[in-house]
Amino acid sequence: MPYRVVHYINQFFGQVGGEDKADTQPFIKEGVVGPGMALKGALGQDAVIVATVICGDGYFNENLETAKAEVLSMVERYSPDIFIAGPAFNAGRYGVACGAICKEVKEKLGIPVITGMYPENPGVDLYKKDAYVVKTSDSAAGMRKAVPLMANLAIKLLKGEAIGSPDEDSYIERGIRKNVFKNELGAKRAVDMLVAKLSGAEFTTEYPMPAFDRVTPNPPIKDMSNAKVALVTSGGIVPKGNPDKIESSSASKYGRYSIAGVEALTADTYETAHGGYDPVYANADPNRVLPVDVMRELEKEGVIGKLYDYYYATVGNGTSVANAMKYAQAIAKDLIADGVQAVILTST
Amino acid sequence: MDLEIQQRVKDMAEKYGPENVIVILGSSEAEAAGLAAETVSNGDPTYAGPLAGISLGLAVYHILEPEVKAEIDPTVYDNEVGMMEMVLDVEEISKEVSSIREQFSNI
Repeated sequence: MPYRVVHYINQFFGQVGGEDKADTQPFIKEGVVGPGMALKGALGQDAVIVATVICGDGYFNENLETAKAEVLSMVERYSPDIFIAGPAFNAGRYGVACGAICKEVKEKLGIPVITGMYPENPGVDLYKKDAYVVKTSDSAAGMRKAVPLMANLAIKLLKGEAIGSPDEDSYIERGIRKNVFKNELGAKRAVDMLVAKLSGAEFTTEYPMPAFDRVTPNPPIKDMSNAKVALVTSGGIVPKGNPDKIESSSASKYGRYSIAGVEALTADTYETAHGGYDPVYANADPNRVLPVDVMRELEKEGVIGKLYDYYYATVGNGTSVANAMKYAQAIAKDLIADGVQAVILTST
Repeated sequence: MDLEIQQRVKDMAEKYGPENVIVILGSSEAEAAGLAAETVSNGDPTYAGPLAGISLGLAVYHILEPEVKAEIDPTVYDNEVGMMEMVLDVEEISKEVSSIREQFSNI
């Protein structure tokens, strides 16, 4: 008996129509539709696409909970051994829909799930931990390359074969670390890499760094003596007792605390919630991390116009870049609304 | 190639018979021309349109290819296509479209 596959595609690939049909409610058809034809060929005799769910990208994203439940019940009826969504290439809403439904199917039905996206598709960051996301080109012109990769991974998962590294099996890193034995010590491997790098030879890093975006600095402030300046820290300085219970690692929130009338932070009134450094010196004198004392001096000397009445704090320890960005956007909105012109960011 | 055009090509091939239809492309880039050529010969490679999985095997040329140019009155060609002929990569486009034609066109 061949394995059973259910395939998910959007209204465009489902040949319902383009953007004008993006509100199409989910429906299921027996057999293959659109890219399923290519997938069928690539899967060969081992697996058969028993049904295809088609759903408008707009409908899915605007009715996330309902859509997930509707699609899930359709998928369930066909008792698949694996669920494949897309590929979505660089289509943002399609990518998010593929990722979200993969996660739902995996959690509720306990079967392997695969999708395909261009690495910059917003669905990648949201769901790469939940599904195998095969790396594709940015447009549907890459269908011919994407489909065999997805099919190959699907067959491996179905047969319970070991899945290789992201490079070997062409999927996007899922943030999973796996212990492996190497013949040579880490020190030797590191030196070999360095030598290769220095001599311009190719080498593969064992620990790829995340790609951070570059922020273009704003133009300098012309008149600091009239500027309202705020303090924001990822060093975890919180009022004693950590009233918002900001986590010592992987913080899920930030706090906003008044320092109106506070001349300097003291060991009795403030402390650090940060779990990533020795807190002794920060607790003894929290100004070392959040320099309220120095800012007050600058305020008195007229170097700055005014220290903003509140400071914002979170814990940077292990906090994801995506969360940090989210906090920063919310904080910046407050600060701009309150007429703050400059921010001093202190870490640990 | 957009869905409506795929449908029109498909309809025409059915109505007149694939052997009586030649598709002339005007795409300005080799990749786009190649995708369109493949769509009408081997089937829609993006599997999004009515020609997904349908190999019409039509003869397909780009307007800039020498075979097409030779068939057209030079004055007319120069007036209508001359400008684009100067700015587009004729060689690259011709290479792409002719390679697809050799692989997939039955006519």
